[in-house]
Amino acid sequence: MDDLKLPCWAAGIALALAVTLFIRDPYIASVLNLIAIAALTAVSLRFVMLMGELNFATAAFVGIGAYTTGAVVTILDWPFAIALVAGGLVAGLVSIVFGYVTLRTKGPYFLLIGFAFTEAVRILYSKSTTLGGTSGMIGIFPPVALDGWMPTVIVAVSAALIFALYALERSDFGKILTAIRDNENVARTVGLNILLVKIACFAAASAAAGVAGSLHAFANNVISPGDFSFLVAAFALAYVKVGGEDNIVGPLFGSVLLVVLGSYALGLGGDEHIFYGAAITLAVLLLPRGITGLVTGRRARAAGKEH
Amino acid sequence: MQTAIQLILTSLQIGAVYILFSLGLTLVFGVMRIVNFAHGQLFAVSALVVATTVPWLAGWGLPILPAYLFAVVAGVGVAVALGLLMYVGGFRFFQRDLVGSFILSIGLVLVLDGVLLKVFGGAVRPVPEILPGTVSVLGATITNQRLALCVAAMVITGLLYLALTRTKLGKALRAVSIDHEAAMLQGVPYNAMALAGFIIAAGLAALAGALIAPVTIVSPVIGADYLVKGFIAVIVGGLGSVPGAIVGGLFVAAIETFGSFYFDPSSATIAIFLLVIAVLLVRPKGLLGHG
Amino acid sequence: MHAAEQPLLTTRGLTRRFGGLVAVSNLDLEIRPREILGLIGPNGAGKSTTFNLISGFYKPSAGELFVLGEDCTGKSALTISRLGLVRTFQHGSFMRSMSVADNILLGTIHPVKGTAARRARVAETAAMLGLTPFLHDEAGSLPHGLQRLVSIGIAFAARPRLLCLDEPLTGLNQTEVANTLTVLQRIRDEFGCSVLLVEHNMKAVMRVCDRIVVLHHGQHLATGTPAEIRADKRVIDAYLGHRHDH
Repeated sequence: MDDLKLPCWAAGIALALAVTLFIRDPYIASVLNLIAIAALTAVSLRFVMLMGELNFATAAFVGIGAYTTGAVVTILDWPFAIALVAGGLVAGLVSIVFGYVTLRTKGPYFLLIGFAFTEAVRILYSKSTTLGGTSGMIGIFPPVALDGWMPTVIVAVSAALIFALYALERSDFGKILTAIRDNENVARTVGLNILLVKIACFAAASAAAGVAGSLHAFANNVISPGDFSFLVAAFALAYVKVGGEDNIVGPLFGSVLLVVLGSYALGLGGDEHIFYGAAITLAVLLLPRGITGLVTGRRARAAGKEH
Repeated sequence: MQTAIQLILTSLQIGAVYILFSLGLTLVFGVMRIVNFAHGQLFAVSALVVATTVPWLAGWGLPILPAYLFAVVAGVGVAVALGLLMYVGGFRFFQRDLVGSFILSIGLVLVLDGVLLKVFGGAVRPVPEILPGTVSVLGATITNQRLALCVAAMVITGLLYLALTRTKLGKALRAVSIDHEAAMLQGVPYNAMALAGFIIAAGLAALAGALIAPVTIVSPVIGADYLVKGFIAVIVGGLGSVPGAIVGGLFVAAIETFGSFYFDPSSATIAIFLLVIAVLLVRPKGLLGHG
Repeated sequence: MHAAEQPLLTTRGLTRRFGGLVAVSNLDLEIRPREILGLIGPNGAGKSTTFNLISGFYKPSAGELFVLGEDCTGKSALTISRLGLVRTFQHGSFMRSMSVADNILLGTIHPVKGTAARRARVAETAAMLGLTPFLHDEAGSLPHGLQRLVSIGIAFAARPRLLCLDEPLTGLNQTEVANTLTVLQRIRDEFGCSVLLVEHNMKAVMRVCDRIVVLHHGQHLATGTPAEIRADKRVIDAYLGHRHDH
């Protein structure tokens, strides 16, 4: 495995957790929750981008995780930890089946089938009376003992999964993903089972997205089909694109920036859609490598000047 | 038998709009290899302009049919102008870049969603009846309006087909769609073709919106539903294929009509989705697709 | 032929049609252990198609393919590569954005388990190809000749029984060609692999190949040692006589 930069991660996570411990204001706490969940979703999306595909089914798996957790807590009445794990597990399992079929397609086809899947799953939620139909589910509460600790828990779980995906990216498995993106046939001819690797990548990302959904369910206590439209994936894409897709910090930075700015804009009576839309459009037109891309580009040029 | 004919007729007229919508999507993909989610907004803008203009003009005393025709011109004009702006301001920098152009289109969808809502308001606008009366075809009935819609769609599709096969521009567009490098080597100006393709697609979306306005409930979010169905039609038919868009549009319309009749609309949507998956399993590039 | 000398690859009547065009017709081919086999012929002779057929990237329209004793007719590229046939591609058979070390590493992931063992094989492969000084350079930034070696490195890192190279010498200067040919000979002698070489560089082919197969219009024209092929009138008429092509 390549260098994982553990000291940086330890420091960063410690800092994030420290922030959650010192926040008392419930509004800021909710924004922190939003940021953590957004970051996890964005990292999940980016993980699939490593193999060169745009995963528009992300929203579907966030929803599957959320609804699984909702069902586990409100219908089965099982504990918090199980609900959380179940969200990721069910999302992961569904993604394996879905991926087995759809990862044989590429590019625009994979993108659009993911989009269609998101809409189809939403219709399923709306039709299911057990899952609350169009009104959704309510009463998804974390255990009383964790009351007031939720931002810390959410940040901790998100951080753990983000680091796990990062570790995977830096391992030899991650190199296969890059190979698939750059030159799939070469990877195929050295004995690598491309479909299997793609499914594994997709499943890991989707399980993470599922947990993001579970966290969303616990943070909001209510969920409905409308929460999981393709906009979830669109926003995640914004975080990745604005922050920069070339490294793991990009989506994290993008989530923080856009969620904070977005909350501020909402406070001003602004329109969330126009805000995010403008952010995406401007980022794509002016900052193709995102904000972190600007920074690394400048550093590379500075290094070049030294020679 | 009676029911079957009625259902087929309904499928045809629903399919007519899906086909026009999908033709634009597939044309843009064929020429530029991009997926434009904002296509639905062009459709919606046109429909909204028509839905706003017809009552306004009628209020001034203009008879309904000329009012409608004038509104169509206005609607298509506005939508195509918007399309031109999208191309010049954004998409021409992302030719053949699937991811970049898609992300741009998502950004535009979000912005336009908000803008259309602000400009036109969330209220639903009915368009007064333009061609009253119904007609009987093979024992099934169809309103004159919907019949006119079908005929118009067929005419437009036919004209497009002729344009693509008989005119110089059409042949150039097809050449670029099949092998853009070879086409460029033959002297076909790629950028001009990309612009032409995009504008024609915008025109098709606009016409679809203008045609659907009298027969449906027009609101700023009308683009979204057609977008999903339109993209499904294009996946099934194969991205970049004009016959594919027609086949796909009819396919989606048929399942939606028969499914809604025998079961319900949402089950029909799920059935459509499952069938798309089945098609992709067997033919990962759609039934007639290339690229 | 004893069992020990069983051919690594056999095709019988291998045919591939594209619509009305027959790209390869009724090809009987044999690749023996420990040999460097050249596959030559004019443009359009069917060399690329044959290459894609035996590596599993195309399915044959007719005929049979046996790789290492197993019937591989119609089998996928994955199956055939796992039996021990690895190929390169004519253009950019490597990852531009990755380092040379990571490129070669890709070839080791399936056959070798464990980080340390994989890294060891990367080092060994790089040393054999003279790539050791460049291990940490981005492959896309290297000169053309080195990139070709990286492509061979990825394929060879999988230690295939049969290494199939698609025009590996294109764009190389004389020194680089000589280097590459030496590497191929070492691969054959030290590692006991066979090499299938599709090439237009006739001098190189004549120098390094043990046997040569000539294709013409998708059909087998002649097989023999370099000396035999050089003297073969049919080959001279169809191909070698037109020395100005290359």
